[in-house]
Amino acid sequence: MAGFLSALRRIYLSLYNWTVFIGWFQVLYFAVKALREGGPTTVYDAVEKPLQLAQTAAVLEILHGIVGLVRSPVSATLPQIGSRLFLVWGILWSIPETRTHVLVSSLVISWSITEIIRYSFFGMKEALGFAPSWLLWLRYSTFLILYPTGITSEVGLIYVALPFIKASEKYCIRMPNKWNFTFDYFYASIIALAIYVPGSPHMYGYMLGQRKKALSKSKTA
Amino acid sequence: MKVTLVSRSGREVIKGGIELADGATVSDLQEAIHGRIKKYYPSRQRLTLPLQAGSQGKPIVLVPKSKLADYCDGNANNLTVLFKDLGIQVSYSTLFFWEYLGPLIIYPICYYFPVYKYFGYEGERVVYPVQTYALYYWCFHYFKRIMETFFIHRFSHATSPLSNVFRNCAYYWTFGTYIAYHVNHPLYTPVGDLQMKIGFTFGLICQISNLYCHLILRNLRSPSGNGGYQIPGGFLFNIVTCANYTTEIYQWLGFNIATQTIAGYVFLIVASLIMTNWALAKHRRLKKLFDGKEGRPRYPRRWVILPPFI
Repeated sequence: MAGFLSALRRIYLSLYNWTVFIGWFQVLYFAVKALREGGPTTVYDAVEKPLQLAQTAAVLEILHGIVGLVRSPVSATLPQIGSRLFLVWGILWSIPETRTHVLVSSLVISWSITEIIRYSFFGMKEALGFAPSWLLWLRYSTFLILYPTGITSEVGLIYVALPFIKASEKYCIRMPNKWNFTFDYFYASIIALAIYVPGSPHMYGYMLGQRKKALSKSKTA
Repeated sequence: MKVTLVSRSGREVIKGGIELADGATVSDLQEAIHGRIKKYYPSRQRLTLPLQAGSQGKPIVLVPKSKLADYCDGNANNLTVLFKDLGIQVSYSTLFFWEYLGPLIIYPICYYFPVYKYFGYEGERVVYPVQTYALYYWCFHYFKRIMETFFIHRFSHATSPLSNVFRNCAYYWTFGTYIAYHVNHPLYTPVGDLQMKIGFTFGLICQISNLYCHLILRNLRSPSGNGGYQIPGGFLFNIVTCANYTTEIYQWLGFNIATQTIAGYVFLIVASLIMTNWALAKHRRLKKLFDGKEGRPRYPRRWVILPPFI
């Protein structure tokens, strides 16, 4: 029974990882194609559908962590996925004025390269039981550049969106109401920006630690 | 006897170790360390016995009043002690005072001063009775907490790391502002009169019960600060281990029933989660300590914090 469940887990995770891999591969392909054909302002429209699908599917990963299907701590995946979903739905989809900004190109390229490496790495481990050392190296090294470029793009786009958020009054709940509740999307976005200040060094530091562990383990193996 | 003091990386903290009388206590060792390295006052020192290679379990912490000789297992003249710097320490009273002072000051500021004009709400605002009572209730609550800190609580640890001051103040001051902003808002919608009275009355009863719980807990500990644990008993402690947390949670519920803000309920949920974590740890500790063996009493069946759920 245990062997059967373990095999089922492997099949499910292989399917999951390779499917999302294909999604991100499409994002990178369409992004580069659009950049060459139409320029940075056309990138968003070209990648919107696979981007939304691939990124939203990542919510499953939180579930995987909670039920114990994977070892990743929820405390690391939650902020990562939170910021991604905020950008994809809360900024790019909700505030169309941001879609033609050049930072969209750097954003989707940084994200898609990172995710292509990450999902193929996990996909190989689940399907074949191992991942080649060059893929391991890529997984734990490309973040050194792609985290800064990705985070800069995220912060930049949120900042660019701010005046439009304020003007549109989108997602705002005003008083008076029965539950004396207020929500101001503009201030919430500013708080989100503020979280990047301690959050980015924390995530980068976490990955540096993971890199040390993973690359030294492979040396002694 | 000679004590060798090492850090967890293996380096000697005090070269050549420390010479002490054979009957010296851990407290004497702490004073000696402090004498050699001025910044390491005793409450900053965490002294443990080195863990045997490969053994699991928690390291044995050296207790100030014990004799050093009690920790030597073979060689009565030599002891190796592991040293950890706990960082700058503040007394618990200091920590609690600062974290409670924020809410005590911020809330009345939102009530009395025209702060909402800076958010674009001009003109006079109508103040409902419930908002005034909420001010009194809130301020009484935090005033009570400060008084309990100085006159009632007996702390198991004398100090807490300085970093906790920033962390705890951020928690209390942010939530305090969040709630005060909404309850004192010019566009605040009050609940019905009966609901308000039920909320505040229930809350007040729970605050008084909470005070009584704190008095019971205080009397469990001797003033000489021996620490240690006893089985709490009497009043609500007969049915629930952390009756003090129970009454605290219900008291906030009373406040929220009367004031009805999402902000207040969010605070209630977060506070309850934090207290439940603490309560589970305390309950576990008491059950482990009072296991009914070797003449020790057995910890009676009790709810942990929120009957009938947990």
